[in-house]
Amino acid sequence: MSRTTGSTPVTATSAATGDDGPAFLGSAQGSWFKRSGWRHLVAVVAVFFAVFPILFLVSAALNPLGTLAASTLIPTGASFNNFNRLFNETDYWRWLLNSLIIGVVSTVASIFVSACAAYAFSRFRFKGRRAGLLAVLLIQMFPVFLALVSLYLIFATITDLWPAIGFNTPWSLIILGLGGALGGTTWLIKGFLDTIPKDLDESATVDGATHAQIFFGIIFPLITPIIAITGLLAFIGSISEFLIASIFLTEPSKKTVAVGLYGMVSNERNANFGMFAAGAIITAIPIVLLFQYLQKYIVGGLTAGAVKG
Amino acid sequence: MASVTLDRINKTYENGFHAVQDLSIDIADGEFIVLVGPSGCGKSTALRMVAGLEDISSGTLKIGDRVVNTLSPKDRDIAMVFQSYALYPHMTVGDNISYGLRIRKMEKSEIQRRVAKAADMLELTPLLDRKPKQLSGGQRQRVAMGRAIVREPQVFLMDEPLSNLDAKLRVQMRAEIGEVQQNLNVTTLYVTHDQVEAMTMGDRVVVLKAGLLMQIGVPQFLYDNPANVFVAGFIGSPPMNMGMGRLGRNGDDYTVQLGASTLTLAPALLAAKPALKNRVGDEVIVGLRSEDMEDASMRPDATETLSAHVTLTEALGSEIVVHFETDITRVVTEDTKLLKEESGAADVADVTPDDRTSWVASFTPRSRVRRRDDVKVVVDTERLHFFDATTSLAINT
Repeated sequence: MSRTTGSTPVTATSAATGDDGPAFLGSAQGSWFKRSGWRHLVAVVAVFFAVFPILFLVSAALNPLGTLAASTLIPTGASFNNFNRLFNETDYWRWLLNSLIIGVVSTVASIFVSACAAYAFSRFRFKGRRAGLLAVLLIQMFPVFLALVSLYLIFATITDLWPAIGFNTPWSLIILGLGGALGGTTWLIKGFLDTIPKDLDESATVDGATHAQIFFGIIFPLITPIIAITGLLAFIGSISEFLIASIFLTEPSKKTVAVGLYGMVSNERNANFGMFAAGAIITAIPIVLLFQYLQKYIVGGLTAGAVKG
Repeated sequence: MASVTLDRINKTYENGFHAVQDLSIDIADGEFIVLVGPSGCGKSTALRMVAGLEDISSGTLKIGDRVVNTLSPKDRDIAMVFQSYALYPHMTVGDNISYGLRIRKMEKSEIQRRVAKAADMLELTPLLDRKPKQLSGGQRQRVAMGRAIVREPQVFLMDEPLSNLDAKLRVQMRAEIGEVQQNLNVTTLYVTHDQVEAMTMGDRVVVLKAGLLMQIGVPQFLYDNPANVFVAGFIGSPPMNMGMGRLGRNGDDYTVQLGASTLTLAPALLAAKPALKNRVGDEVIVGLRSEDMEDASMRPDATETLSAHVTLTEALGSEIVVHFETDITRVVTEDTKLLKEESGAADVADVTPDDRTSWVASFTPRSRVRRRDDVKVVVDTERLHFFDATTSLAINT
């Protein structure tokens, strides 16, 4: 009680209740380390823990020998040799472009489809709504391995009939990516939509807006945080997707970064981890840039002030 | 501007819940109608059916001469103010107000003219570039009003628009809404659970209970002639005092027995309600407004009195509100239970039926009545209300 009353003298009764003596709020108590210094220590340890692998990767990329065994944190004889070889001896830029095309198109398309589905699931009551929601969730639970054989067979036929969207085209992966992220994303967006007051929809309805106008004009601007987050996750997932890409994309010029880089280290005797590391660093750049760009959208509280006083 | 006609409107939900039953209201052009009732009485559902946000299960809804049952909200030419205001948080006040007009592809100059006019009327002009979250509760409420006004609709629908405001602001906005409605002369349906709002704002008041229409009329008529026990207990603050009584006859006089007291009914009352004469010996529910009682020491010549034990006095300056216990048998019906729940009294005190009945009277401020006094209370026997003990309906004939 009186322990928090600042300059008020501590009375005998309340002093008796506190066994560690009176402490005054806002007054300097204990050493700097006890008060806030330990936080800095924790932060430094956390930063070191997070940055260490990246430092090692940079070191490996600059190491001209291209082996992991010879890598040290501070490389001896650092050079951009690995980058030169990566750009000149492989189709790296082509792979990166493939990855970006697949990543961007499948992310945009799948988020759009998911957001529309989530809006319907959140706002409308229709036959099969519950079943649909459950199906979307359950299908998501099966790992992609289960579908691999059937996907291969399906796309083998598609390649025969419409080679433009078959094997060795970005479209095959875009179509798959569309379905891949759909389940989880739909649930996440639906959960966010459920927190947006339905009064807004009804108010716009009375104002004369159509469902599409409500969704794009009123609701969509309010769900940008979850769109940014799910979009980012879908993009990262698409860029690092390896399993299906490695089976679907076999022509060197059609490979994605993940498949292309793997090719460099898959050969046991001739693994070039230096080039691999160089490629990985460059691949990380668009993701980091995207994250930076989306950061301003990943803030909640945008709906504050919509309702109530 | 148009009349609104509800003709035997019903709403039954898929789970079988009958939210609104055979509701028929004729609303004149420019009239301010208040739907009032305890929570769950179907008042909001009725409003949302008029808005087109809920389907009408059966019945006919007309706005003007058009049957609008199957029209979508945007084609009904209505504007609605929500309890939560439902302002679009990412738009400025100006954009919020003009949204309905922009959606309809109205000319820019016309939109500007209307927004400026509405903002001027509601004193929102300096706030047009702000976002809703930068506004106070009262300002948000006005933006919500502005959004409805610029549409220049045939009908305003308001769903408890003041319940999120604090008490002082509510009184102020109450007057403001009334003024705006009168200036624009737009037919208005207003939903509230607050009977004070209903009494002060409505041209006519519709009292609903559990989806059923209890009574419809101008506020003073509802106050003076409640159709049943529910309306009597719901309209008015404090609500009408009620107790069980027995009608009797003493020579040429007709009497009512209330506890140990026997009151002689005034001739004017008997003239207005001759049916009472045929009910001699019947047990009835007797109702009495607080202002129809007075401290007996202020009226030494009065004969019709009840004995009372004062439990609480509240001096309001213009009057003294006196809570007292009487020996009159308490009225226990579904309605009184519902009213008790609604007023929150059920949460406060555990009251048993054989407990003494507590009444509220308002005395002249010159009264010297104090707590724990045993006093006599004069009853204006002309102003007694009688209800059938089984049907709870008023005996008005």
